[in-house]
Amino acid sequence: MKMKTMTSMLLAAGVIGTAQAATEADVDKSFGPYKSGVPTVAGVKPGMVIDKSNVEAAKAALIPSMAQFIKSGQTTLAVGETYSFGISKNYIDATRKNLNKVSLGPNVGDLVGFVAGRPFPQEPDAKDPRAGEKVFWNFQHNNRIGDSYTIWPWHMEYKNMASGKVERTLKQEYHIIQWKHRVDQDPRPEVEPNPSQLLRSGYLKVHEPQDLKDTQLLISRFSDDAKLDEVYLYLGFQRRVRRLASNQVTDPFLGSDLMVEDFEGYNGRMRDMKWEYKGTRDLLVPFYAHNKQKLAEEPKEPDFKFIDFGGEGACFPNVTWQLRKTYVIESVPVNPDHVISKRVHYVDAETYALSLNEIYDRKGELWKTFVIAYTDSESHMPKNAGRGVAINDGFSIIDVQAKHCTTGKFKVHLDQEMSPTKLFSVQYMRGS
Amino acid sequence: MRKTATKDRRNTPLAAGMLTLAVGVVHTGGAAAGDMPNEEARVDVVYENATFARRDVGLSKFRNTLKVDIDRQLGRRGAFDDVGVNLKLRGTFDGVYRLNEDTYGNKAGGAVRLENTVGIPGSSVAHGDGLGSPTNPLTAGLAGLPGGGAFGFNSTDPSAPRYNPNEGMAVLGEHLHRTDGGVAFAVPVRPCDKDSRGCIKDYLDATRQELESPEFNDRWDFIREAYVTGSVPFDDGSALFMKVGKQQVVWGRTDLFRVLDVINPVDYSRNNIYDELQDIRIPMWIMQAEYRAGATETFDDLNFAVVWNFDKFRPHNIGQCGSPNVILDAGCFMRGMKNLWDNGGTVANFANLGLPGLAATDFGPNQIGIRKAHLPSWSLSNTQLGVKLEGQKSGVGFSLNALTYRSQLPSLRGGIPANNPFDPVGAVDTQPQPHPYPYLIAFDVHFPRVNLIGGSMDLQVDAIKSVFRLEAALTEGEEFPNGLRKRLFSESRVFRYVVGWDRPTFIPFLNKTRAFLISAQLFGQHLLDHELEDRPLGKVGMPDWKDNNIFTLLLKGFYMNDRLSPQVIMAHDFRGEATTIAPSIDWLVSDNLKLTVGANVKVGRGARKFDDCRTCNPFHPFSASPGQGPNDGSLGLGGFEPLGRFRAGPIGMAQEEDELQFVLQYKF
Repeated sequence: MKMKTMTSMLLAAGVIGTAQAATEADVDKSFGPYKSGVPTVAGVKPGMVIDKSNVEAAKAALIPSMAQFIKSGQTTLAVGETYSFGISKNYIDATRKNLNKVSLGPNVGDLVGFVAGRPFPQEPDAKDPRAGEKVFWNFQHNNRIGDSYTIWPWHMEYKNMASGKVERTLKQEYHIIQWKHRVDQDPRPEVEPNPSQLLRSGYLKVHEPQDLKDTQLLISRFSDDAKLDEVYLYLGFQRRVRRLASNQVTDPFLGSDLMVEDFEGYNGRMRDMKWEYKGTRDLLVPFYAHNKQKLAEEPKEPDFKFIDFGGEGACFPNVTWQLRKTYVIESVPVNPDHVISKRVHYVDAETYALSLNEIYDRKGELWKTFVIAYTDSESHMPKNAGRGVAINDGFSIIDVQAKHCTTGKFKVHLDQEMSPTKLFSVQYMRGS
Repeated sequence: MRKTATKDRRNTPLAAGMLTLAVGVVHTGGAAAGDMPNEEARVDVVYENATFARRDVGLSKFRNTLKVDIDRQLGRRGAFDDVGVNLKLRGTFDGVYRLNEDTYGNKAGGAVRLENTVGIPGSSVAHGDGLGSPTNPLTAGLAGLPGGGAFGFNSTDPSAPRYNPNEGMAVLGEHLHRTDGGVAFAVPVRPCDKDSRGCIKDYLDATRQELESPEFNDRWDFIREAYVTGSVPFDDGSALFMKVGKQQVVWGRTDLFRVLDVINPVDYSRNNIYDELQDIRIPMWIMQAEYRAGATETFDDLNFAVVWNFDKFRPHNIGQCGSPNVILDAGCFMRGMKNLWDNGGTVANFANLGLPGLAATDFGPNQIGIRKAHLPSWSLSNTQLGVKLEGQKSGVGFSLNALTYRSQLPSLRGGIPANNPFDPVGAVDTQPQPHPYPYLIAFDVHFPRVNLIGGSMDLQVDAIKSVFRLEAALTEGEEFPNGLRKRLFSESRVFRYVVGWDRPTFIPFLNKTRAFLISAQLFGQHLLDHELEDRPLGKVGMPDWKDNNIFTLLLKGFYMNDRLSPQVIMAHDFRGEATTIAPSIDWLVSDNLKLTVGANVKVGRGARKFDDCRTCNPFHPFSASPGQGPNDGSLGLGGFEPLGRFRAGPIGMAQEEDELQFVLQYKF
């Protein structure tokens, strides 16, 4: 029997890449993990502050690096109430409508039959060797941008963790558009024409400082995971668009502690990693209501305040953390020459946002902790209310070896008008 | 010697105007923040000091630059959305012309001597003492010429016309090579307001103030860029993008050398070929109209652009003789030749008197040299027009380009009317003088029309983690020196190409967490109509190589969150056998302060020799070698000057210009 025929039969039989068929109950559970109650962990209560005096008791709810930061007095952690962020109804409806139409192909990165919504709403099964991959497909196709969003302004600071000195400050704009599988914004389900079958594009422009002014980055990912991302960089001082090699996404982004591959927790192809599901835990994660936080006075922004940072070197977001159901996924680069040996991602079970990520160097030692702060859209700017999107409100990536961090403060607009399709072209970079 | 005293071109009001405009905008350009990313007025004011020291010269640059960039997005205006206004001002003061005035300023140069291999009256003679001078014992031998000949010029009498004294001079090419039996002549090196000899009107005639502050000129270059952008959206998602004003138009995908990126001329006087092109392109008044179709059923992105350069023509600034950066030393050759035409001068090792060696010879005015430059005036037919189709398809970016433009490099066309120094009375040469002589080194400077077609593409090759950039262009209409032609030039079609390779590469022993950028480029140039012949004394024809390649390599590293960035740039000219190595370190002390320390070192063969047309026999029979007919052309006797520069190339001709460089940049 030919391999192709055998694969088709196995697919038809649901042997490859699928476990049990998902049910409506799975969908309900996936989007409403707290309907029957919020998680509890001994030693952790809303309203408390975890510091080095009580961190041991709360350790079960902390990822290892955060426990270590608190233990060594580098930061404290305020615990907030757990609540459901609520997901876009359109996204949930799309999940129901396309339930069980999707399956994994024979190779990592092959996704067959995906239309829209959450591809695999059922609970990950520890016995399923591809459970980690499925969780990450759910991340890849989650509704974190509401089909398009804009971060403006994005203030990014490079900090010496030991001295607290801010070495560099950038001001940027960032736009993302989802070309396919759209559920919230017209045109749906796809922006057409889309001859290369792009999945998603991101466009970034630096406004400050002067030496980086007008630097622009365009990253496009294809629907076909086998295709390499296309990355273009426009350097203001050269006035020329340069195409970047795919492995340049593992370089520090504009000198920060962040790689392009780190964006949003993981910004790469599925097939470039080996995915392993390491279990489900109730963990403290930086999920909160933006308008209930003690916000920063600087930088000033009309009708908006950014989240603040504190702790050692002002490297930690000053937000409340809540206990949430979290899937632990380990990703190991397929390329043995990759700059890292692995990442451990902590995936929020309701939103599939990656709020915590631990990155290990090639020797297998912890290199960076990447904290992404999320607010629900109801608690953000009024114009974002009702969108059912977990809004990426800021981040900190801490290089524990170099004692250095990069922090980001975001003002996110779930505003289609601010991310028109024309932004996402090489020609726009040249002409802007 | 004349001094330009009729016109004070300091343009002080312009300088004051620039500062007033800049300061005014800084004070009024407050941020008007809104939801859209570009609603703020952006004003950046940057000061830069570039201090360079050159081997055996001392200070070669003390350039202070103030740059003001103002961008304002106005949003929707009428049919246009995203209307933007951009203004970039730049003013420079380079103190090197005062701080090192013995080399580059009003006291540069001195009295020179020209090689005289005939040995009579000595192995060299002073400028003005060559054959034809009353002080030269060989002059007596000219008495047999019809009318006694017309050799000699006025190097001694300030009250007489065409005074050309032996002051403020350098010997052509002396900083790079010995005369070595070739030709050479004296070149005035002081700014044109101090010494107007050899200055070519409207082309290479800068005063000290214009050298110090090149932006404050009658083209208002202190307004470096001033343009408006906007696009008209169409219902189908496509748009017509317009950009009108003084601007740079960047075509192509290459660094350092240009194949398609030829719309704006370049100011090589700023730092030869080594500054970023954005800093040395000369902005022009241009209109761009670009139909952006966006994604189509076939292409991921497709655009069609028309570029109309409606500005008055401007050539490259190749550097005036006497300033620190004179690419190919061409500015010195041209200034010396212009002085020869206007005033006459002594040419080393020229006349064959039947004695061993050659006699330094004093030519009179209007016999040899450069008469004038024909700079195209403004007319519709002198404007420049380009079209470009650009797009993306299956991961490949591509462009197809066509451009009709004026050559930004000078072409020296012989065949101008000149006087015969051997026969001023027309005893043998019976055609009334002046008249054109074949193969005579007497030229006008022209900037011919050139037509270009080309294309480019880039693609990623993941198997080797690399990106390749390809560019190619074919031109017709370019002109090159050619000793085989009676007017000493000819056209050639030229095919140029570049293959660029970019690869981020880990070098673990230098940096474990950050890849180095390796970027290599191979530039090629092929002259399709190249002409070169072997003649009895050497090769004659086009000195430019028929085929040549230049290889460039960039290795750039990053440390301290990219705030410390060492790099080395290398360029090797294969046929020129010349290499540049330019290591440097950038240190971003803060967001506002950047320091760069670097060097620029050249190694290689340096100057090269080629037929110099001494045996061209323009004044037959007087200048004929035994057996040489009136239209036989050169026999091929050569030397370093003047055409060896085309063999040595821009790197080889800068062989002696090793520098240490320090740049400070501060943003207010």
